[in-house]
Amino acid sequence: MGPARLWYSTVLFLLTLLITVPSQAQGPTEQIKETTDKILAIVSDPSLKSPDKKEEKIRRLRKVVDERFDWREMSRRTLARHWAERTEEEKEEFIRLFGELLERTYRDKVDSYSGEKVVFVGERVDGDYGAVKVKVVGQDQRDIPVLYRVKKKGNDWLVYDISIEGVSLINNYRSQFNNIIVRSSYDKLIKMLRAKVQGGEEKSEE
Amino acid sequence: MKFFGRILIFALLGSLPFGTLSWAAGMTAPMESSGPRGGFLVAAVAFQDLTELGYPAEQGTRSSPEGIGGSLVRLSQNEDLDTIRIRPAEDWSGEETQKATISDPLEPLNRAFFAFNDKLYFWVLKPVATGYETVVPEPLRVSVDNFFSNIRMPVRAINCLLQGKIQGFGTEIARFVLNSTVGIFGFGDFAKVVFSMEKQEEDFGQTLGKYGLGPGIYINWPFKGPSSLRDSIGDVGDGFLNPLDYIVDDVVYNVAVRGYDRLNIVSLSLGEYEAMKKAALDPYISMRDAYFQYRKNKIKR
Repeated sequence: MGPARLWYSTVLFLLTLLITVPSQAQGPTEQIKETTDKILAIVSDPSLKSPDKKEEKIRRLRKVVDERFDWREMSRRTLARHWAERTEEEKEEFIRLFGELLERTYRDKVDSYSGEKVVFVGERVDGDYGAVKVKVVGQDQRDIPVLYRVKKKGNDWLVYDISIEGVSLINNYRSQFNNIIVRSSYDKLIKMLRAKVQGGEEKSEE
Repeated sequence: MKFFGRILIFALLGSLPFGTLSWAAGMTAPMESSGPRGGFLVAAVAFQDLTELGYPAEQGTRSSPEGIGGSLVRLSQNEDLDTIRIRPAEDWSGEETQKATISDPLEPLNRAFFAFNDKLYFWVLKPVATGYETVVPEPLRVSVDNFFSNIRMPVRAINCLLQGKIQGFGTEIARFVLNSTVGIFGFGDFAKVVFSMEKQEEDFGQTLGKYGLGPGIYINWPFKGPSSLRDSIGDVGDGFLNPLDYIVDDVVYNVAVRGYDRLNIVSLSLGEYEAMKKAALDPYISMRDAYFQYRKNKIKR
């Protein structure tokens, strides 16, 4: 390659970089919208409707959700003052188990999507923290107000809490976990989490 | 007074056709929240971006849907976006955790009642409600819920007034008039469907909370479910405002009517309690915390 060509390809390369770097103006709303659009596409995809495709559907959903949710941040906030005392291995295990617990919860809902719409209501940003307000409108026009709390990591706004009708997911789990740790121990909590995530399906509701 | 009670029962049975009518006219509308939604699911939904109607989101400012579509669909819940704390608390010392929970000195008793209500739900309420749900289509059940909810207008209206929510008071009165007439005895929520007039969910417990009374202690009543000292006092107060107690004087009929209302509400939210149990490590704490947060949020609004 002659020097001119080298120069030319460098310029071309730099120009390409400029085009592909995401715009700084991508706010939390746009990013959350991206995720919900993707989720909608998966859940209303006719080729994934059959029961044998359920695992595939869940796998894809998990991938999309992982991009938008900060599991580590959520785990840190649910353990709260008990987080610092944990070893790195314990933290890793907890993050994994907590994620699986939440996945089990929405697993069953995956088939029951019936045309609900999400209406964007508003957004507020304060430095690297933000909140996005939406309402979920169901078929019978039942309106559910939902609040996403986000934190900026690099160029991404990641969700660290969801509040439904004012009830925060993180607060709710924090109460439960704190109660168990204070009354028994962290070990008891981890045992309960493991049992819940693994035992789960066969256990009857009664 | 017994006579009126009987009249009401026959009216209820006879007015189911009216419910059907309003259903056919497409005037069914959302049920009154019977409690926090169980199961925190990430809803997979389509996303309508109303920012095209309004301002783009800028750093440190708030964007909201103004314009024709926005103002019609304005939620009363929109206010809390301005009042909530965006940067979360990082202090997790004992006191911070304490503030975020409700005092529960009666926990053993509450847990016993929780277990009782649990059995009551799975052994009695759920089977009957499931049977009822199979026989009666959802829009009709929503209509019945609207009917009972409409009757309770004085509770909501007067509590709006007590909290200085004059607009809310007006909305409730207007809703009552519209729904009782065009909405056919309250079966159809005409006001919501056509004018987007939302139900103002206020009660005396919230009024007391608004005036600074804390929840007190957590009380989990058998049959009734989660409550607090303040909210229980509030329910007694609301009892004086509820027209049902004046219309249906006879205790037996009163309980029967309330029972039916409760059954109808359960039939509309089957599965939520199960979902909450599935998502929780300790369902009792989960419900207690959800109740506390839910009420705190309602009072703020």
